[in-house]
Amino acid sequence: MVTLGNLSQSAAFICSLLAMVLLLIGLMRNDLRFIEAGRRALTGVAVFASMAAFSLARLFMTDNFQVEYVASYSDRALPIFYKATSFWAGQKGSLLFWAWVLSIYIAMVAFNTRKETTRKNTPYIYLVLAAIVSFFFLLLITVSSPFDLLAYMPKDGNGLNPMLQNPGMIFHPPTLFLGYIGFTIPFAYAIASLISGEIDPDWLKKTRRWNILSWIFLTIGIILGGQWAYVELGWGGYWAWDPVENASFIPWLVSTAFIHTSIIQERRNIMKVWNMSLIVLTFLTCIFGTYLVRSGILQSVHDFGATGLGGYFLIFMIVVALGSIILIAESYGDLRTEHSLESLISRESTFLFNNVILLAIAFSTFFGTIFPLISEVVTGNKLTVGEPFFNMVNTPLFLLLLAITGLCPLISWRKSSINNLKQNFMYPFGLAFAGGVLMFGLGIREFYPLVAFTLSIFVSATIVLEFIGGARARKKLTGEVILLAFPKVIWKLRRRYGGYIVHFGVVLVVIGITGSTAFKLEKEVTLQRGGTMSIGDYTLQYKDFNSFQDRNRTVYAATIGVVKDGKAVNDMFTERRYYINAKQPTTEVSLRMSLKEDLYLTMPMIGKNDEITIKAAVNPLLGWGWLGGVFMVVGGIMAIIPSGKRRKAV
Amino acid sequence: MRNMWIILCSLILLSQAATVQALTRSEVEKNLICYACPGEPLNIDRCGGGDQMRAEIDRRLSLGQSKETILEFFVQQFGDGILTAPPQKGFNLVAYAAPFVGLLIGLVVAVIFVWKWAAAGKSSRGGRNEDVEAAALYKDMEKQVEDELKKLEND
Repeated sequence: MVTLGNLSQSAAFICSLLAMVLLLIGLMRNDLRFIEAGRRALTGVAVFASMAAFSLARLFMTDNFQVEYVASYSDRALPIFYKATSFWAGQKGSLLFWAWVLSIYIAMVAFNTRKETTRKNTPYIYLVLAAIVSFFFLLLITVSSPFDLLAYMPKDGNGLNPMLQNPGMIFHPPTLFLGYIGFTIPFAYAIASLISGEIDPDWLKKTRRWNILSWIFLTIGIILGGQWAYVELGWGGYWAWDPVENASFIPWLVSTAFIHTSIIQERRNIMKVWNMSLIVLTFLTCIFGTYLVRSGILQSVHDFGATGLGGYFLIFMIVVALGSIILIAESYGDLRTEHSLESLISRESTFLFNNVILLAIAFSTFFGTIFPLISEVVTGNKLTVGEPFFNMVNTPLFLLLLAITGLCPLISWRKSSINNLKQNFMYPFGLAFAGGVLMFGLGIREFYPLVAFTLSIFVSATIVLEFIGGARARKKLTGEVILLAFPKVIWKLRRRYGGYIVHFGVVLVVIGITGSTAFKLEKEVTLQRGGTMSIGDYTLQYKDFNSFQDRNRTVYAATIGVVKDGKAVNDMFTERRYYINAKQPTTEVSLRMSLKEDLYLTMPMIGKNDEITIKAAVNPLLGWGWLGGVFMVVGGIMAIIPSGKRRKAV
Repeated sequence: MRNMWIILCSLILLSQAATVQALTRSEVEKNLICYACPGEPLNIDRCGGGDQMRAEIDRRLSLGQSKETILEFFVQQFGDGILTAPPQKGFNLVAYAAPFVGLLIGLVVAVIFVWKWAAAGKSSRGGRNEDVEAAALYKDMEKQVEDELKKLEND
């Protein structure tokens, strides 16, 4: 298997080089046979990459600890389920995973464009994709092979980090990777247009599904990461503004900006330079994420430390950035269109402002993330920039973004007048105002939460108006009853309403984050058996303590009786686990979730004579945030479901 | 409308009068990094070094010290790097100001572009003063949806 793995990844690299050579010859000689051969070679990359991935998975399953990577991230006691996920637990495996998925994406593009090889852009798309995938395989075969062998055969492996032994680990990293990798395709289309000099007006349409699909995966990855942190790390939070978390959030912001302005280009054929720049920036920020994880330049709970790959990724980023800037500058004349808007106030202009705010948040997140490095260079003082900084700087920006999310649907495409706006704003603004006053009356006195909740009402009201308007239009057109017209119009115009569902999801996320941040209660108390503590409406009683062996860990579990508002509810069980091969124990969270609030318990310490320390937290409204994540993903999926008509796919 | 603004402004001013609550350890913890685990906030960390810091925070809280005093103690011991947010002084102000300066520049540039494009749109219409008075948006939007639906039905 080791030989097969090594040979396969080498063959994948050679195939990608071969594809590049064939494509270049085809382009120089203007010979379609070579271009077709290059296209087939790209499919070959996917075949060999799949064989390499299969080999690594098989090595994990068969406990081949002579393979250094397998020995580092697995052991005999590890449940088979986690042996499979160990594939991407470390730097080398995740790099192979990246290259493998990219090669499959490329094969899909090669297959779907098999009848378009005569188009001027197509060979260049293949060429860009081949160059990118060859870079990843070059790293795999030269500096970071997961098939490297140890000089001896260890009896057992080091095991998987206990914190990674969580179901969230099955989906969190791969979905993030699927998101990052997916943006390679629209990037290749954009660059191919620039190189060929034939600016394909349809490149946005052709790559729309890739963009949104990648955005969906990135969204799922980020939400699952938050969920994993919440239920596994035991600190009661879900987002710590850690450098690696930020590295996933930055491309999400930039790609969200891109998705918005690409709609304007599709409708009005303007902002071509801007969209080209945004897709390049999206791709670069995706690579920046993987650079950050692998370079060791910033301290993060997620990173792989200094892996020796940082320099390669840095060079790659510089080449991509410089190359793209030069290409955009050279094509500026072709990309430039006569921009004109009918009015100062139009949805097009609000989209531009939405872009500015999204990019400002991306910039502040990026700048805060790298500020320790800047500070060290300038002042010699290495600082940490964490949660309080990002909350302080980004909260007002997020509120601005939320406000514009509500304003956008109220402003028509092309033109709106002041009178028009006054009428449109009346209901949402009135509702939001009434809601704000009510919340103030109910005791919400802090500025940011009050504004966030008020804006949430405002945005929700605008979305509801959109849905009502759509249903009424359908009713008018078909004569259907409104209850039937409502789902039908949503389904018929799913791209449009999918977008609004995403916006509604954002509102729910804002409610969840605001509630769980501004009104969070936390308490840590050391208890003797039978002792009690109270937090919010809850009284917690330490009832029982026991220990037992469970597969690859020794478990110490405490039973906590919960009384809410004087009524006993179900007992909760929190654990402290000592895994074989792990240096530190882990805390197992006990969670009582509801839309109103979560009761969150962990046991950070066990003392003598069954004395335990309980850390309890009440996180109000957090459930709305997770629900919002679901809405965002569902809305995104709706937006890319093809219509009944047959269309040529990319 | 004016009354609504007055009420809104009053609410904002009143909201500044936040309720004073007792300081908890977690409020202090999230402003500190564990000295033994660089880069790891104390509220996430669970190592022995972090336990020492937590014990010190508890001790100082029991003495009635404020958050600022406790944070100052740790800064004196370990330097500014022990804080999760850089102090707002000297070169660090760049970190706090840059995002807003960036936003401001972006907004100014966006306004200039929108202004320019709107002017271009106006001149391309031969300076005609088009009637931009439209029906209420939901009417406008209804029409859009109607058009899109008709298009779909025809397809």
